[in-house]
Amino acid sequence: MTFRTWLAIIAGALPASLAAVLLFLALYAWPAIHFNGWGFVVRDSWNLGNLYADPVDIAGMSVQPGAQYGILFLIVGTLLSTLIALLVAVPVGVGAAIFLAEAVAGSLRVWISFFVELLAAIPSVVFGLWGYVVLIPFMAHHVFPFLVDGLGFIPIFAGPPGSGYGLLTAGVLLSLMIVPFIAATLRDALVSQPAPLREAAMAMGATRFETIWRVILPGVVKVLISAIFLALGRALGETMAVLMVSGNALNYLPQNVYAPISTMAAFVVSQLDSALQDPSGMAVRSLAEIALVLSIISIVINAAARLMLVVWGRVGRPAGAA
Amino acid sequence: MVGVALAALVAAGALVTSGEAFAAQTQVLETGSTLLYPLFNLWVPAYTDKHGDVKITTQGTGSGTGISEAISKVAQIGASDAYMSNAQMKANKGILNIPLAISSQMINYNIPGLNGEHMKLSGPVLAGIYDGHVKYWDDAAIAKLNAGVKLPHQQIVPVHRTDGSGDTFIFSQYLSFSTPGWSKSVGYGTTVSWPAVQGGIGAEGNPGMVNALKGTPYSIAYIGISFKNATDAAKLGEAMLKNRDGKFVLPDQKTVKAAVDATASKTPVDERVSLIFAPGAESYPIINYEYAIVNTEQPSEMAAALKSFFTWAIDPAAGGSEHFMTAVGFVPLPPHIAALSKKQIAMIH
Repeated sequence: MTFRTWLAIIAGALPASLAAVLLFLALYAWPAIHFNGWGFVVRDSWNLGNLYADPVDIAGMSVQPGAQYGILFLIVGTLLSTLIALLVAVPVGVGAAIFLAEAVAGSLRVWISFFVELLAAIPSVVFGLWGYVVLIPFMAHHVFPFLVDGLGFIPIFAGPPGSGYGLLTAGVLLSLMIVPFIAATLRDALVSQPAPLREAAMAMGATRFETIWRVILPGVVKVLISAIFLALGRALGETMAVLMVSGNALNYLPQNVYAPISTMAAFVVSQLDSALQDPSGMAVRSLAEIALVLSIISIVINAAARLMLVVWGRVGRPAGAA
Repeated sequence: MVGVALAALVAAGALVTSGEAFAAQTQVLETGSTLLYPLFNLWVPAYTDKHGDVKITTQGTGSGTGISEAISKVAQIGASDAYMSNAQMKANKGILNIPLAISSQMINYNIPGLNGEHMKLSGPVLAGIYDGHVKYWDDAAIAKLNAGVKLPHQQIVPVHRTDGSGDTFIFSQYLSFSTPGWSKSVGYGTTVSWPAVQGGIGAEGNPGMVNALKGTPYSIAYIGISFKNATDAAKLGEAMLKNRDGKFVLPDQKTVKAAVDATASKTPVDERVSLIFAPGAESYPIINYEYAIVNTEQPSEMAAALKSFFTWAIDPAAGGSEHFMTAVGFVPLPPHIAALSKKQIAMIH
């Protein structure tokens, strides 16, 4: 009896801690939620107000005069950088998975897969430092000017090529971090597709490309989608690497892909010590509100990914059930 | 097996007991302003050479962090270029703002071809750059101040500090005091809501500002004087600023001392005062006291250690000597201000 209760307590502690974290955030951010209202997610301007004036009383809450919090530019920055990361990572990840599953075999496949998965083991701050020292100058001097010349007629690729700190650099860096998730998950799924399926396709005269593209891949589309969601969840929460290369834009939306941006996670880190300067405390609570919004988005996406994996399974359908 | 375990225990015990010898040292943590950081890094080895019972660890994290960690007692010395606000002083009784030296701030820029000349800029023009009204380097407002200089038609990239920064405080005070429009819309503080300027970059710390300038052509930034070696080595341009009397000056010992002479007399007893935009034909407009934010209540050894260190730091024969001040471009406190600081130091117990 006591063994079962202990097990129940330990097992229950994990979902309870998830609920506790969300509850803590919601309680701590409640004054900010009340003060900011729904305008929080549509207003474009993060303003701590006049820190050197005396706090004023607005609707029963003490805040600095002029304080107004809005995170539209953060939401846009987060979504755009994640979108670019996926646009780069999905083709590369799918290509790598197909290569590993179909084009190499035996110990070569094992070793190359090992190194692809090792990319996920690099801490994100290391990616950030590499991005700061290597990627930013490279993009600024060698990539952006050519993009402006070649694709400048498209509005988002036009305009000043900037200094390397910005949306495209952050997106490329994020894609490096999420490619292993897509490649590894998809490779496992492709490998476990039954051999008779491949043999049947080849017996009908399909080329290797047609076999992969028309027969094997459609069988793993659901696994691919859930892998994309997992990668999306990782990219949304990515803090340090983006903080170091994004340029830390404040209060404006990017007009082209080279412009600086800010993401929600990176913003909380970079603004924490500024927020502590607010004697009324509203700024720190508004940061907690950003954290709450980010947690909810991240949990919803990760939950959807896990549910998809459970419902559709990590492996392809058994032979004969097509 | 048991023998190995026993040997490991003995070794661990020896390590612990040898650590006891160092416990007698007073551990002081200094954190905060990146503008004051280079001076602290010169002071600490010189001081601890003669006072081996104190170990001072320095960090450059921004004035905002300096103030908040001094208040929360995580750090014993919070370095800040900004004094605390009235609301902060009311909320946190028993905190001292002790000036240790006088520093200034440069406006640097990176314009290919023009970094060797000193461009002339004023508070209103800088306010226009940082709020987006002045978009291009060849704007009429800049051209008016720099007759005869061939300005490029390139977008200006204003760089600001993302962390809670004393440099932001003194820069935004200069803009507020010289430009009524800025004072109304943005104001001043260790952190301000920077107006939306397309392409504007945020950097962390003075070193981050230097780096952002280095890598971004046509950018402009506000950097503390103690980083002049870094900006000169990177061949960045330094601007001449228009002071209250309408003259254009560079920050050097003469112009900073002129500004100090014009404003230091209005320093109150708690020494929280702005020295920005001082009158006088030779005064440099952006100068400030470098504050040590300290709690008056300290454990007794810590109080003695802190009092001894601060007294050494403002002594014109020791920490306040030419040797330290000119190395970072600072100016020592005038005698009557040093006396006020000594009175505050005596309040630490």
